[in-house]
Amino acid sequence: MTTAIAINGVSMEYVTPEGTTHVLDNVSYEVSEGSFVAIVGPSGVGKTTLLRLLSGLQKPTAGEILIRGERISGPPAGLAVVLQDYTRSLMPWLTVERNIALPLKNQKLSKADRSERIESSLEEVGLSGQGGKYPWQMSGGMQQRASIARALAVRPSILVMDEPFASVDAQTRFDLEDLVLKVRDDFGITTLMVTHDIDEAVYLSDEIVVLHGRPAKVRDVVTVDIPFPRSQIQTRNAPRFAELRTHVYAMVRGLE
Amino acid sequence: MPAVLRRIPAGMLSAVVALIVWQIIGSVGPLAGDSFATATEAISALWVLVREATFWLAFWETVQMAAIGFAISMVIAIPLGMLIGLSRFSYRSSKFTFDFLKVIPPIVLIPIAILVIGPTLAMGVALVVFANVFSMAIQTAYGVRDADPVLLETMRCFRMGLAKQIRYARLPSAAVQIGIGMRLALAASLVVAVVAGLVGGAGGLGTFLALTQSAGNADDTYAVILFLGAIGVALSRLLVRGHRRLVFWVGR
Ligand SMILES: Nc1ncnc2c1ncn2[C@@H]1O[C@H](COP(=O)(O)OP(=O)(O)O)[C@@H](O)[C@H]1O
Ligand SMILES: [Mg+2]
Repeated sequence: MTTAIAINGVSMEYVTPEGTTHVLDNVSYEVSEGSFVAIVGPSGVGKTTLLRLLSGLQKPTAGEILIRGERISGPPAGLAVVLQDYTRSLMPWLTVERNIALPLKNQKLSKADRSERIESSLEEVGLSGQGGKYPWQMSGGMQQRASIARALAVRPSILVMDEPFASVDAQTRFDLEDLVLKVRDDFGITTLMVTHDIDEAVYLSDEIVVLHGRPAKVRDVVTVDIPFPRSQIQTRNAPRFAELRTHVYAMVRGLE
Repeated sequence: MPAVLRRIPAGMLSAVVALIVWQIIGSVGPLAGDSFATATEAISALWVLVREATFWLAFWETVQMAAIGFAISMVIAIPLGMLIGLSRFSYRSSKFTFDFLKVIPPIVLIPIAILVIGPTLAMGVALVVFANVFSMAIQTAYGVRDADPVLLETMRCFRMGLAKQIRYARLPSAAVQIGIGMRLALAASLVVAVVAGLVGGAGGLGTFLALTQSAGNADDTYAVILFLGAIGVALSRLLVRGHRRLVFWVGR
């Protein structure tokens, strides 16, 4: 398998007037093309920081991040993000359609191609015909679907999500989990997702990266050897699922 | 509450109560007499005034001072505020000076303004501009800075540059503050335009008031005050509605 993202010896320190916080220490990891990777770890360990480095919003204090062999030095092309806080990442003054259209302006698309992209992305997330609504006219789950549609519309090769389902109810969460699995299947997008829900990590991923410590290191990489397609009922009741979640849980807690 | 009363808007009710209280204070107690008008005296004086051309001419002058001054301040302050707000450094460094300048009451500048410009409409306009421009600029700058960092970072991730961030994130978020600022500024413009006439002889209803006052005509004086109050309320209503339309997403 080819490598989509290579994280090589990445360290990160935040320098503030109160002092220096050493958050990540020599983190190395390679993400295979097309795989689904979950990043887990205790709160405040540095998961968001790692995603920010990957999205090119910040530069690591040491080490480098390569996307398909190229060192990134800013938000890379072909990367799309979905954040937890959909109310803050969608623009309330634009309809969902126009929210999705905005990032597409970077790509030289004809008007017809652009509206086709918008419509097909909305359809992919189950929001067909709802593009004319404003985000605040939608439920939380629908807004997060809209964020996913915005990400898909740019036809990304890498999708980065930071606790995307932390603010929706349990049933919606299951639906959205299956949605991102479908999206990965349909487009073969390499997906990285931060979650604090270990069950969710096991259910979705090919691999789970466990961050631990202060500063954080990669404590372990767990391969989730449960075959696809997965199903909310069968997969979550499989004995292997229980084993894996217990193992990951213990590591996140620093018990193993 | 009886059904009839419930249909009357609360604002109307309190206005009626205020008029009654005014009437009582003007009829009995220490303020009763020629130097103060009762509500009924003021209203009937106003009824006469609104049929006089000189009154409307004076009103028109005040409107001109307020409107031109208001427009000039917006044209200066909004772009200036946008510029200041784009960097944290320029915002922080301007804020102190602007906060200082915006609390200077324009009335203290009237002697200088009379010296430099003379007691004219232009002086009124200048005072209105001075009254608004600093607070409006800082309000705009605040709105620009107030744009949600999560949104701005999302835009950066999608590789939308500074121009798009200004147009689609900073401006709409500033619109909320600009709208609030404009509401306050318009009310202040009217007040300052009147004061410029009253104290500085710049003309308009202010000067009209000065004349009725020096003639000892309390009825006309309070008629004009009543009229100005009503205009202020109407204006503010209109602006609240306009603002709600402009930033329709707020509070959703
Ligand atoms: N901009 C920043 N400046 C200073 N410290 C920060 C900043 N962002 C995050 N941190 C610190 O870095 C650590 C990791 O934060 P974060 O990556 O958000 O953790 P997680 O997402 O795993 O909960 C925390 O201790 C946090 O206080
Ligand atoms: Mg986080």
